[in-house]
Amino acid sequence: MTCNEFEELGLGAERDASLSDTQRAAAAAHAASCSRCAALRDSWEATRLELRSLAQATGTLAAPTRVEMRLRQQFRTQYHTPRARRMALAAAWGLAAGAMLVGAVSWVRWHNHQQKNIALTPNTLASSQGSPDENAGDGQTLVADNELSNFTLLPGVLPAETDGSAILIVRMQRGALGALGLPVNEDRAAEWIQVDLLVGSDGLPQAVRLPE
Amino acid sequence: MLLGRAGKGDEEAFTLLYRRHQAALYRLALRMSGNAWAAEEIVQDVFMTLMRDPKKYDPARGTLGGFLYGVTRNRVLKHLERSPHREVPLEEKNENGTGPGIVLVDATTPAIQAEKRERIEQVWAAVLDLRSEFREAVVLCELEERSYEEAAQMIGCPIGTIRSRLHRGRALLMARLEILRDSPRRPALPTQASVAK
Repeated sequence: MTCNEFEELGLGAERDASLSDTQRAAAAAHAASCSRCAALRDSWEATRLELRSLAQATGTLAAPTRVEMRLRQQFRTQYHTPRARRMALAAAWGLAAGAMLVGAVSWVRWHNHQQKNIALTPNTLASSQGSPDENAGDGQTLVADNELSNFTLLPGVLPAETDGSAILIVRMQRGALGALGLPVNEDRAAEWIQVDLLVGSDGLPQAVRLPE
Repeated sequence: MLLGRAGKGDEEAFTLLYRRHQAALYRLALRMSGNAWAAEEIVQDVFMTLMRDPKKYDPARGTLGGFLYGVTRNRVLKHLERSPHREVPLEEKNENGTGPGIVLVDATTPAIQAEKRERIEQVWAAVLDLRSEFREAVVLCELEERSYEEAAQMIGCPIGTIRSRLHRGRALLMARLEILRDSPRRPALPTQASVAK
């Protein structure tokens, strides 16, 4: 082994597992015979001891705890915040869907109710083709007489087309007829009566039919 | 296992993973950079990378420790490229043990401790004066006592390259330290307080 080879291979022979036993023996033999390389080996041994001291002095070091704290904080931000956001979003969508469902059900029920009312009180003139006799046997159902006879125009109302008008059955005290401009018998003002009101398409009463 | 759990948002798993690997990575970064703050930043950056994209680690290509070591090494080399000036932070630790420097646990007299400390500072300064590729070989093989094969695998080069870099690194280190051994003891550096006066 030459001095150059010793410098490259011999100084680290004991750490270099890739060297063969023959190479190690050759390095040892060279150091025994070459005073320069022996001195070099001694110098390296001294340096290694100092490196070992440095390794020991820095061997127990670890990252400060603040690094762990920062990383955990970042971890929470990365994983938990989006999860909370997703949950809030899902909850919001759930609430919105629930509100829509409730709205839809309410509308359907209201619509059905309206249909039922119309069926129970077929008082629109447009649907006046039905015979009142059909409901004659049902004493509980309030069915207006769809004939326009016997109606008295309210004071101040001019005769007009009745398209879009409706007949409403109203239960009121006789005294309330005064508000419609009709004469009222004061003695019977507190008496409850049922009247048919002809209501125009503008929603204002046009005529009244008093029960016989 | 831990990484998989951490990837699903398990904070405890991530913390365990961090505690298992952080010290070795911190020491590598500190020994290579000589800068405690830089080492701290590098370790944090490495784990941030792992946290943000755990799929970067491919178990088929090696251990997680090896992967983290490789990422740390890359970060250190980038840091050295950006700021080649080194520091040797050998001040005492804080009371809570979180200080950036080192502590000499020694029962000898304060004078001997101070002398040892100074010598270690010189050795570290000599290591940090090496070019990064030589320094890396010295840090891995001499300070971390890894085998040449391990070092070659970590750096991603043949064993012959490691041997060659160690050869150059040793020669430079010995030359530097021989000079310091033979030189008379230098007076203690003035402190900031004395300079202020």
